[in-house]
Amino acid sequence: MKLKLWPRSLLGQMLLSVALALLVAQTISGFLQVRAKDERREELMLNAAAFRLVASPGREWGRSAQNEGERRESQGRGPHRRYPFSVALERSPAFASTGTDVARPGYEQRLGEILTREGFAFSRLTVVTRRAGSDPGVVEQLRERRRFRDDPLLEQRPMLVAGMQEVPGGEWTITRLPVPEREPGSLRNVAMQTIVLYLVLVGGLALLLRRITRPLAALTARMERFARTREAEGELEPAGPDDTRRLIEAHNAMEARVGALLDEKDVMLGAIGHDLKTPLAALRVRIESVDNDAERERMAATIDDIARTLDDILSLARIGRPSDALENTELAALTASVAEEFEDLGENIVLGETSRVALPVRTTWLRRALRNLVVNALRYAGGARVSLRREAGEAVLSVEDDGPGIPEGDIQAMLEPFRRGEASRSRETGGAGLGLTLARAIAEQHGGGLKLANRYAEDGTIAGLTAEIRLPISA
Amino acid sequence: MSDEAAPIHLLLVDDEASLREPLAEYLTRQGFVVSQAETAAAARSLLLEETPQLVLLDIMMPGEDGLSLCRHLAEAKDLPVILLTARGEATDRIVGLEIGADDYVVKPFEPRELVARINSVLRRSARGAPPPQEDALYEFEGWRLDPVKRRLTDPQGALVSISSAEFRLLTAFLSNPRNVLDRDRLLDMVQGRGAHLFDRAVDNQISRLRRKIEEDSREPRLIQTVRGGGYVLACDVRRVAPEAK
Repeated sequence: MKLKLWPRSLLGQMLLSVALALLVAQTISGFLQVRAKDERREELMLNAAAFRLVASPGREWGRSAQNEGERRESQGRGPHRRYPFSVALERSPAFASTGTDVARPGYEQRLGEILTREGFAFSRLTVVTRRAGSDPGVVEQLRERRRFRDDPLLEQRPMLVAGMQEVPGGEWTITRLPVPEREPGSLRNVAMQTIVLYLVLVGGLALLLRRITRPLAALTARMERFARTREAEGELEPAGPDDTRRLIEAHNAMEARVGALLDEKDVMLGAIGHDLKTPLAALRVRIESVDNDAERERMAATIDDIARTLDDILSLARIGRPSDALENTELAALTASVAEEFEDLGENIVLGETSRVALPVRTTWLRRALRNLVVNALRYAGGARVSLRREAGEAVLSVEDDGPGIPEGDIQAMLEPFRRGEASRSRETGGAGLGLTLARAIAEQHGGGLKLANRYAEDGTIAGLTAEIRLPISA
Repeated sequence: MSDEAAPIHLLLVDDEASLREPLAEYLTRQGFVVSQAETAAAARSLLLEETPQLVLLDIMMPGEDGLSLCRHLAEAKDLPVILLTARGEATDRIVGLEIGADDYVVKPFEPRELVARINSVLRRSARGAPPPQEDALYEFEGWRLDPVKRRLTDPQGALVSISSAEFRLLTAFLSNPRNVLDRDRLLDMVQGRGAHLFDRAVDNQISRLRRKIEEDSREPRLIQTVRGGGYVLACDVRRVAPEAK
């Protein structure tokens, strides 16, 4: 639907479709009604004309001869008495045309059919309509009857003039009838009818649809909130027709199930974390009794490695349900303090330019993300440069190294869990490969993203890797 | 580690025998006298008979947990406490410090580091000057430092991360505004728990602190260098009550 006016909601679309359908139906029906009335009016008019022609003086109507006196009298009465010029029945050697004549072959044919049906034979028929004012006979009559003379509309009225020649070359019998006008109310009736239908149907439909769309809207809002926060407090009350009710009930069941799974996962991970860390701590204490220093150091490093991986796994699992609140934090200080941690450990880390940017973040998490990037740089390149800059509505925490980079095709895959650079899958580098995954998850949790890109030297070889956490600066 | 004749008496509270026993063994080898308790309740009854100088406390225990026992120990017994925590989450640390623990280590910890921390906490409490856990905030030039939660916020209210060494350094300045503090004095004042963290030059820590709180760390305005070897906090400091949450 490219049309801008086309509504997007169920309610709007239904209402508009029904309204359009009604409009089309009513238009057709109105048109047909008007046409049927026109038809009937024409039929009456033509019948009247036929009656006049047949009943003209000196003519036999049926089998009984009529005397002229009676006919005269009858001409003064009848349905068209109000139109003085209609009574005139003219006999003339020819059918005189005027300038406003409009030939009506359709009327001619139908008039002919009526006459034939009544068993009346004729030679020629001519039927035209003309303005009353242009008819000499009428004008003459008008002059005699003062009552109508001053009515200017009268002259404009259309008039049917039907002439009949009974025998070829014989006298014409001509009758004049006013063309009856449409009843003025007919179109308005159709319009009124349409409006009433609109109100009843569209109004009723709107009420009915609201019963459906309201619970749907509530359901949508709840699902959106659940997707965002994963909070499943309370339940949505089923409402609306059965179909909607069942949908809501099904959703409630699913939400409860998902919530239970998430809770189970959290409990399980917490237990794993606790239950593994305590024995690890015990192991860490026990290796102190190893006399060989080098051996003990290696054991300690392994235990640290396990502990770190465990932390990463736990964090990754917990990140969907962040318990820490967002806190307005000065990122330059955060960047500096992460760099200083590594400085204190004697690592090769350089703190570059940092511009002051304060953003609402989860401080612990963001530190961890930055730390992971630094650990990666140190691990694969032996050194890291950390900086913070503002760029087009984003705060960019950047960690650069001068290492071997990542083959272009592998950059996306590097962000997947348990993935490590192919070249460095040695025991020495350690780590479960969750660092980048976690950094990305944290960046995304903050509405931003993690970008990895190789930097190239002038001769086209990879000069190092740049990892950037980009966080949107909300106005 | 204790060079005196009387060995230092520790109480170790952890429900996991697999950790408690080897740790007690290790600490004994290091010259401590170690009592063990499996639960908070056992610890409480043990404390009726013995008076250890320091308590090592696991946070996650069945029954009464470590945090609750810690509150009791800090308030009623005035015993120094080091928490052993399985989670490295900042919230746990802050909660632990807020309710009166003196330090914490995250499992799996390096046993030597634990010993260093025990000594450091003991040294501080032996000096008889455990910094009173006053919760009034320091306020200077719009900046605020929460001495309990160790949180520094800038004039715009944004959180500024500082290390514990920087925190102690800043606290030293804030308690002596407009006084010139020379390097020895500073070193002495900030040498609290975890002195191993502070084996770097004071100058280095000062420059780090400046990087975080000065507009331009090359032309410091707040912490100024004094000719002849010292530093001074060149602004006034107020103590304000923490905002009700």
